[in-house]
Amino acid sequence: MSLPSTPGRRIFSLGWRHLVYAAIAFVFVLPLWWAIVSSLRPNAEVFADIFPFTAKALLPSPVTFEAYIGIFERGFGAIIANTMLVALVTMAAGLVVNGAAGFAFAMFDFKGKRIVLTAIIISFMLPFEAIALPLYTVTRQLGWLDTVAALVVPSIANGLAVFLFYQFFSQVPRDYAEAARLDGVGWLDILLRIYVPLSLPTCISAALLLFIFQWEAFLWPLLAMPSQQFKVIQVGMAAFQQQYQTIWNQLFAVSVITALIPIALLLPLQRYYVQGLAGAGIKG
Amino acid sequence: MTRSRSPVLLIAALLAPALIGLVVFRLYPIALAVSDSFFNVLRGQPVFVGLDNYLSLLADSTFWKSMQVTFWFNLLINPIQIALALGLALLYVQQFRGVTLYRILFLIPIGVSLPTAVIIWRIMLSQDGLVNGVLGIAGIPAQPWLTSEALALYSIIAIATWKGISYWMIFIIGGLQTIAPEIYDAARLDGVRPWQRLVFITIPLLRPTLLFVLVADVSINFLLFAPIFMLTQGGPADSTNVLMYEAYKSGFIFGDMGRAMAIIVVVVAILLVIVGLQFKLLAGREARP
Repeated sequence: MSLPSTPGRRIFSLGWRHLVYAAIAFVFVLPLWWAIVSSLRPNAEVFADIFPFTAKALLPSPVTFEAYIGIFERGFGAIIANTMLVALVTMAAGLVVNGAAGFAFAMFDFKGKRIVLTAIIISFMLPFEAIALPLYTVTRQLGWLDTVAALVVPSIANGLAVFLFYQFFSQVPRDYAEAARLDGVGWLDILLRIYVPLSLPTCISAALLLFIFQWEAFLWPLLAMPSQQFKVIQVGMAAFQQQYQTIWNQLFAVSVITALIPIALLLPLQRYYVQGLAGAGIKG
Repeated sequence: MTRSRSPVLLIAALLAPALIGLVVFRLYPIALAVSDSFFNVLRGQPVFVGLDNYLSLLADSTFWKSMQVTFWFNLLINPIQIALALGLALLYVQQFRGVTLYRILFLIPIGVSLPTAVIIWRIMLSQDGLVNGVLGIAGIPAQPWLTSEALALYSIIAIATWKGISYWMIFIIGGLQTIAPEIYDAARLDGVRPWQRLVFITIPLLRPTLLFVLVADVSINFLLFAPIFMLTQGGPADSTNVLMYEAYKSGFIFGDMGRAMAIIVVVVAILLVIVGLQFKLLAGREARP
């Protein structure tokens, strides 16, 4: 890109570059775009213009909101509210619990710290799927099957979130805490008044992590809620797919809503999310 | 560096919730899986059967077929995902006018959950779906992407890759940011070609990051469940029946929790061995702290 070049070659290579980027972006955007387009069509028109394929297939020709009205009539409003509740409670509790642990690991030396920290890091490397089946047994022993607690409580403590906070708090110069200690400020005040405000970017990236984790949860809510009285969105969507295979436009409408809520959170906050996770990978 | 005397009570209070959570909901289930795998339930009563669940797996051709599918799936999907994520990260960090828009678009699959991606792709890959329509322009006949024994596994790989690479890209971007630009400047002065720069500078310096991504990616793909559950239920003809799905089927469809837990223990044990090998072979001398 920094080779000496004539203006003509420059424009040519700039054109190539945009072509490559646009082609890749197209592949990433196409499924969601087609889902949005199809969710705005009447059901009979979803597969129009595909055989033979014309560009019209990628535009909603007769626009209608009947699919969106339809899914709310089927109770998807409640499912979205359920998922929001689960995700937001997990997020709030998770910030406190994991933030506190990260702070303790970063600020204090104590016996067995390395071992405990390593155990936490390994616990986040091991995906939730690995323990979902045995976790079902634990939840049954606790008598939590079919309760909201079964969805929320096991997901609050999160190794990756602990690690993000640990990493951030370790970078804060220790002088801050030392100086405050000399002035006789208590640890809790130091945490709440100095460290919490400083850690806002980490809080945002951990919050996104916890929220998206719950929003995307599928296997666990499927197992933990055998009666499916309280449905969350991924499970509701999968059930809808199995039950109403051919109501394409509504299926697309559900998918679009399911995708757009986290995307709406992620795009304005992407800088924090990217920086938070990118930092975790280096040290991990 | 002097540290203040540790306020033990405070440390305990700060750590307790997270540690209790991790013990009760992570470590205890793992121990439980191991112990449950030694039992069978007969007429509602758990009966200790020792290693029977494991021994019967050894003679179980469905299990071995499933093991084969799991390994083949992972041998393909992990290198593909990591290579593409690396390529994507290299594109992401370029600086030019208009790159911000592309960066945002590259991140879109992160917001699309795997079940959502699966639903949309399932319709796109159906017989009269968008993919076959677009291929039709080139005169390629419609393919049974998800219903043929020859193609289903590869379609699942494609969907999971579409969903996954943006996420792994983020970690690689973090690694790229730690490489000092002076190294590239020096290489340029020495007349190093771009591909040499990638192979001899970027990839070696990215090794810790790539190792992390490899381990995390393998862990996720080895235990992949949702797409198989939603798309193929292990079929056609068990061609997508990975071990995680076989375990789920055992426990929740056939009610054989002992066998399910034995499979889970085997899967996690294999995974830990793979991860251990990756660290041993790839971490190098300067290894992790």
